[in-house]
Amino acid sequence: MRELLSELIAASAEASSDSIVLSGDHGYALFDAIRRRTPDQFVNVGVAEQGMVGLAAGLARVGFRPLVYGLAAFVPMRVLEQIKIDVCLSRLPVVFLGDGAGLVYSTLGASHQCAEDLACLRPLPHLQIFSPCDAEELRACYLEATTSSLPSYIRIGKSDRPVVNNDRLRSTRPHFVIRSERSENCLVAAGSMLAPCVSIAKALGIACLSVPKIKPLDADILQTLSPFRRAIVVEEHSRHGGLASAVLERTAEESAPSRIPLIRSVALEDRFSERCGSYQHALSEHKLDDSQLLARISTLIQTPYLQ
Amino acid sequence: MPARLITGASLDPKTLRRSVLQMAHQGQSVHVPCAFSLIEILSVLYSKFVRLNASDPKDPERDLMVLSKGHGVMAAYACFRELGLLEQKHLDRYFSDGSLLRGLAEADIPGLEVTAGSLGHGLPIATGMAFGLKRKKKPQRVYCVIGDGELNEGSMWEAIAFAGHTHLDNLTIIVDANGFQAMGKTESILNMEPMSDKFAAFGFNAAECDGHDVEALEKSILELQRETGKPQVLIARTIKGKGVSFMEGDNMWHYTRISEETMNRAMKELAD
Repeated sequence: MRELLSELIAASAEASSDSIVLSGDHGYALFDAIRRRTPDQFVNVGVAEQGMVGLAAGLARVGFRPLVYGLAAFVPMRVLEQIKIDVCLSRLPVVFLGDGAGLVYSTLGASHQCAEDLACLRPLPHLQIFSPCDAEELRACYLEATTSSLPSYIRIGKSDRPVVNNDRLRSTRPHFVIRSERSENCLVAAGSMLAPCVSIAKALGIACLSVPKIKPLDADILQTLSPFRRAIVVEEHSRHGGLASAVLERTAEESAPSRIPLIRSVALEDRFSERCGSYQHALSEHKLDDSQLLARISTLIQTPYLQ
Repeated sequence: MPARLITGASLDPKTLRRSVLQMAHQGQSVHVPCAFSLIEILSVLYSKFVRLNASDPKDPERDLMVLSKGHGVMAAYACFRELGLLEQKHLDRYFSDGSLLRGLAEADIPGLEVTAGSLGHGLPIATGMAFGLKRKKKPQRVYCVIGDGELNEGSMWEAIAFAGHTHLDNLTIIVDANGFQAMGKTESILNMEPMSDKFAAFGFNAAECDGHDVEALEKSILELQRETGKPQVLIARTIKGKGVSFMEGDNMWHYTRISEETMNRAMKELAD
């Protein structure tokens, strides 16, 4: 996924001199390709994230297509007001790339972990939000974000999870990665939680839906889930304001509520990580490591539902 | 019609101040003194430096003037009326329900390039514009009017460092140094002096002048722009509330709405 991201960024720059990448002194190896092939189109602005978003807005106003890169803990978290006022308010076509979202920086502590980016960004008008799980989803999301006239945020979480999609995707719409005609249960996931959900869905014989585009959320998502009794939304994000919230908010607008499955959320706990350790250790503090995830989902698919 | 200096407009400071006062009275708006302090600055910029196209405010060949201290926006509206960018009816309806003009700078108003009501936003955007225009080898210039209180914001110094580092000589910053910020004197709240030295240390060509002397403003900007390879900053020493004696230097007027009686007293002072 990272190799592809590096290549996509370099290829965009080669394709158009208006494509420009800004980084706040982060992303060392990721930018090797663009720095080798079109060095003028990579700008390290220094450790200055607020100024970086302002610069990007100014560049967009004079005809550039900026891509703003940072760790998710900084872009968007540190620069939320700049994203809102400088970019979203004027619908400027700036792409924000938030890397290391979730618990990726498990050994660096809570300052560099990011469980709240989706929740902070979802209320911003005009902003599109993507959360790809693997290279093919990244390709589709990147293409849509970089060709749109609207601003976008691409959430990059743990990027070395097993590949989920083997074929080219034609869109960023929700798609079943595991179909199960007989099952009453469907896992709904985005980003880093897709790969473990696929394993669990296979093991339990249930379906699994990937949702690479979080906002605007697909208009038909409840219809897509309507054949199921239960939809379990799994995400490496706070349970407040992420994918589960987006799906649940959609139920409040549903005109035929009888078709809505029981929706359950499996997400990061409402607390900061406490101890240092591996990525799986960090997940385990939030009961999202592979074994606890399997146990929780196994229990949830037994939840009684209303007829 | 190409972007050019819009001639024939009456950017006379007294006319502009009367416009501001009428708007503030009509809309029962605050922020009069911080508009009065930058009247001459905007008058000189729009009459001598900023090339615009009155029939196409988004003309891609225009110069870009960013009002980073967005709370001084009534001064800009007053200029836009004279320049033919805004119709009088919009000023007459200031702050009425469904009206166009807000109390802070917003990018959708013809002539205002960016939304800059929150402080510390306009200069980073202006810096990005200047950086982009230079990369595209475009001849236009970017002007950015900031407040001295606004220099408290860290994002301003991120942009200042970047502009100096990248030698943005197509960027001219004017500081409306009226010595006050929302709650008092800048020197007692968070002293930013010596401003010229700070900018110079960041690679700027810096100068100071009387910010109400239109000839000094014009001459100082021309001189600053003569040297290439550096962004420029003019510290324009101004008086908050300039033009109406009882508002000058009295920060209470930052928050005071304009009564009929105040209006009459002030208008007498602003008569030709």
